[in-house]
Amino acid sequence: MQETVLRLDHVNLTLGDGATRVKVLDGVSLNLHKGESLGIVGPSGSGKTSLLMVLSGLERADSGVIAVNGTDLTKLSEDALAQFRGRSIGIVFQSFHLIPNMTALENVAVPLELAGHRAPFERARVELEKVGLGARLTHFPGQLSGGEQQRVAIARALAPEPAMLVADEPTGNLDLATGIHIADLLFSACRDRDMTLLLVTHDMQLAGRCARQIKMRSGQVLDEAMADA
Amino acid sequence: MLDQSLSRRGWFGDLRLASRFGLRELRGGLAGFRIFLACIALGTAAIGSVNTIADGIEGSIARQGQSILAGDLGFELVQREATPEEFNRIEALGTVSKSVGLRSMALKIDGSDQSLVELKSIDDVYPLYGMVVTSGQVSLAELLAPKNGVQGAIAPQILYDRLGLKVGDRLKIGDIAVELRDVLVSEPDALSEGFGFAPRLMISDAALVQTGLIREGSLAEFGYKVRLANPPSTDGLKALQDDLKADLGDKGFRIRTSANAAPALSDSIERFSQFLALVGLCALLVGGVGVANAVQAHLDTKRPVIATFKSLGAGHGFVAMVYLVQIMVAAALGVAIGLVASAILPQLAGSALERFLPLQISNGIEPRALLLAGAFGLLTTLAFSLVPLGKTQSVTPQLLFRDATLEGGGTAGWPWKIAAGLVMALVAALAIFTSQQPKIAMYLLGGAVLSFLVLGVVAMLIVRLASRMPRARSTVLRLAVGNMYRPGAITRPVVISLGLGLTLLTAISLIDTNLRSQISGSIAGKAPDFFFVDIQGSEIDGFKTLLGHASPNGKIDTVPMLRGRITALKGIKIADYNVPPEAAWVTRGDRGITYSPVMPGNSTLAQGTWWAADYAGEPLVSFAAEEAGELGLGLGDTVTVNVLGRDITAKIANLRQVEWRSMSINFVMVFSPSMFKGAPHAWLATLADPSASAEQEAKILNTVTRAYPAITSVRVKDALTIASNFVEQFSMAVRVAASVALITSVLVLAGALAAGNRTRLHDAVILKMLGATRRTLVSAFALEYLLIGLATAVFAVLAGTVASWYVIDRIMSLTFSPEPWIAFTTIALSLAVTIGFGLAGTWRLLGQKSAPVLRTL
Repeated sequence: MQETVLRLDHVNLTLGDGATRVKVLDGVSLNLHKGESLGIVGPSGSGKTSLLMVLSGLERADSGVIAVNGTDLTKLSEDALAQFRGRSIGIVFQSFHLIPNMTALENVAVPLELAGHRAPFERARVELEKVGLGARLTHFPGQLSGGEQQRVAIARALAPEPAMLVADEPTGNLDLATGIHIADLLFSACRDRDMTLLLVTHDMQLAGRCARQIKMRSGQVLDEAMADA
Repeated sequence: MLDQSLSRRGWFGDLRLASRFGLRELRGGLAGFRIFLACIALGTAAIGSVNTIADGIEGSIARQGQSILAGDLGFELVQREATPEEFNRIEALGTVSKSVGLRSMALKIDGSDQSLVELKSIDDVYPLYGMVVTSGQVSLAELLAPKNGVQGAIAPQILYDRLGLKVGDRLKIGDIAVELRDVLVSEPDALSEGFGFAPRLMISDAALVQTGLIREGSLAEFGYKVRLANPPSTDGLKALQDDLKADLGDKGFRIRTSANAAPALSDSIERFSQFLALVGLCALLVGGVGVANAVQAHLDTKRPVIATFKSLGAGHGFVAMVYLVQIMVAAALGVAIGLVASAILPQLAGSALERFLPLQISNGIEPRALLLAGAFGLLTTLAFSLVPLGKTQSVTPQLLFRDATLEGGGTAGWPWKIAAGLVMALVAALAIFTSQQPKIAMYLLGGAVLSFLVLGVVAMLIVRLASRMPRARSTVLRLAVGNMYRPGAITRPVVISLGLGLTLLTAISLIDTNLRSQISGSIAGKAPDFFFVDIQGSEIDGFKTLLGHASPNGKIDTVPMLRGRITALKGIKIADYNVPPEAAWVTRGDRGITYSPVMPGNSTLAQGTWWAADYAGEPLVSFAAEEAGELGLGLGDTVTVNVLGRDITAKIANLRQVEWRSMSINFVMVFSPSMFKGAPHAWLATLADPSASAEQEAKILNTVTRAYPAITSVRVKDALTIASNFVEQFSMAVRVAASVALITSVLVLAGALAAGNRTRLHDAVILKMLGATRRTLVSAFALEYLLIGLATAVFAVLAGTVASWYVIDRIMSLTFSPEPWIAFTTIALSLAVTIGFGLAGTWRLLGQKSAPVLRTL
């Protein structure tokens, strides 16, 4: 039997008050197994990013169950959630969000240091070498190209060996060739580590590289088959 | 798996990791902390410098105690010498040096001019410690010894200049002529004898006897300095002082030790420096607003990093710790700069002070002063940083998915606000408990906090008023008013920071101007033109006749005068009596007292009845009503006064309302006449002659001095000039301290304007894109700065006027007069600063190209 890494059961989320009140997620249910990859597509405002935030514990859902590796995120306090996220969920952003005054090595070491890893810098070095940046350890983000910055971000997300990697438009700020290279890196890293991957993108071709795809519209998950439509 | 290689950190581990992250993050430099650093450094430097100077002076007084006192022990008696028994008691302690001090007139030998002098006679063994410095090399004994039958004297250069004399010239003192043999540069015990109103003239004890100036009731001070064979420790000296006080204290002796050689000066310096340090603390509190603004601006720029930390598993408390470490590192740097300044500035001030204080001021580092200043700097930073730090709670990793919402905002939770309040309370407690005048410290801090609150309300009212103003037809006015209430408007920080600095400056300027105009104007107008002291009973009629001829239009008043010291109240020894600080001057040292069969003309009866003109019963006293109230005295209570070595106890028969502002002869205590029947005493006279010109005044002075060389004449104008100079020096120091507060205000203002400029740039670019000219935008910004500056200045003028009125009218009991020019200056200064600084920053912005900014919108 396949191990379930992510379970979403009837998750609802409403944002805003009064006239601006919008139902962002409407009864979303989803199961994802270890090593599985899922591409989430849909038009702007369909709820893709909100779903990503809810399942990584960054947004509190109004109702429903969100369990990662069997831990119900809705039951955790803010600080416990932050710690859990640091160890179990890796996040890659469209804008990289590296810490400008820290070197590539230090950026990758941050989640390890926060998690209390005994040798954060050795581990960070290994991760950077894996993404091909072994020669750029002491460079600051401002001294790296966009593609290199995203590779540092991927190394940082992978370093704590999370159960699940979440990527929000990871190639959105990159040129086509660099984007393809980054996507290759993401998929191969997850495959090598048997890691679950969730990917939000507008790029149907990128989503197509995932084992499964879902399409979202008005806060609802449409049939998986419709993702190809 | 990662979990297998994890270790648990605990609180200390969190702090270490937070410090590592914080320091790594600081690699970008402290560019955003310039105003922050300046505010902390200035405030710390102000407090540190003032305390260092004060501690330096006090330390010097303590170290040079033997020289300052010119002995290990000092005994003083007023109006009488020690009896043989008393002298034997003093002489048994060690080597004794006797000196006599009194004010007298020195007349040029040709009688053409004269000057009041502080005459001092010394014996052969003076000084027991330290040395008298003259401009020549001849010994003191030789300088003062008689030559060809003429006694020698030395005086400072100022007396030579005043009377046009040179070494070798002669002066008439009392009944004899003395020859000026050298210029007196310094005498060791000048500090312990207090500030003189006139130049010193030093002669030998034999010469003093020949002058005939020591007569019945003369206002002379007899000093006995003792050099102990084996001077004990400070505690031993104190114990000896206590023993001697028990033996001699109730006989009118004032006893001092080298451990506390100049108590009045020490007290004055302590009080004044604490006042200045509190003004410095106010500057630091004003700077706190700048700190809060800078911390907020810094954290706003760090919101993406904060969100990233949180997305990687950091909790809110940990993230706050990272930035608290950064802020405290920056604060430590600011404090260090301030402390370096605190160690350097007093060296410069010390040299300047040595011109006023005959004292070698220590130039060392004063650890207590620096520690205190450092603690104030760090605690103030912490207090003003906690609320902005608490706001980072609202920064969540969600922001990383929505770049457009990375601007500042949010509110701090109650725990952060309470913590900030507690740290602020700690700052206040530190200021109050380290002050020797906790009440004044409390009032001043309370005033500063109240000003903060009131200015906060004023800022809120301005914002509300601006938001409710009807839509103006003028684009410029509409833009200006809109800028005053939009989110991120500069109104609040500018009103609070500049308002506090300007209020302080207005209050100090008004107090200073009022004090000086009182001295030169109303006090000079009301006061008599001359005081004459040491008039013998046998001389009083002849003196009045002479004065009547010399000043036909003058009004002459005479009263008998003795010196007395209160030794007990209600039968309780004064040392054990609870004397409130405001009434301490009444019981401290000798006071002038008088007797009268009738109530003095410038008083009104408040309680009780005046005694009959021929009353001859038990001793009665009339006490000044306000001072009696402060001392808790009422009708029927007893007052014991030591006069000429004898304790006299009188019952309070009535309380008088004394009009001290009248500047005529006033006494706290007026006794029934029978009490001093037969007691030797002199008379005090005043002459008021408003019509007399300067030449006529000089002539009156000359006539009196020539006819009565032993009578001391004090020209009130000269005394007021000295008082005015003193106020000028005092106010200069206060102004320097207050200007630190104003500079800090301006720094905070500049910081707030710079922070506001980020938003202003976007507005300006969009408005330019929509067709606004540079002129329209500059006019709108200038108008906005003008409105805020004007509102702040109006408040500062009102608040400063109320504060100064309270000090002048209620505390000093003087007449307050508002000074319109100070109000105008304050308003002009406020407008110059707000418009000047505001437009300087805005002008640069308006020159920037639109495209780069539009791309980021």
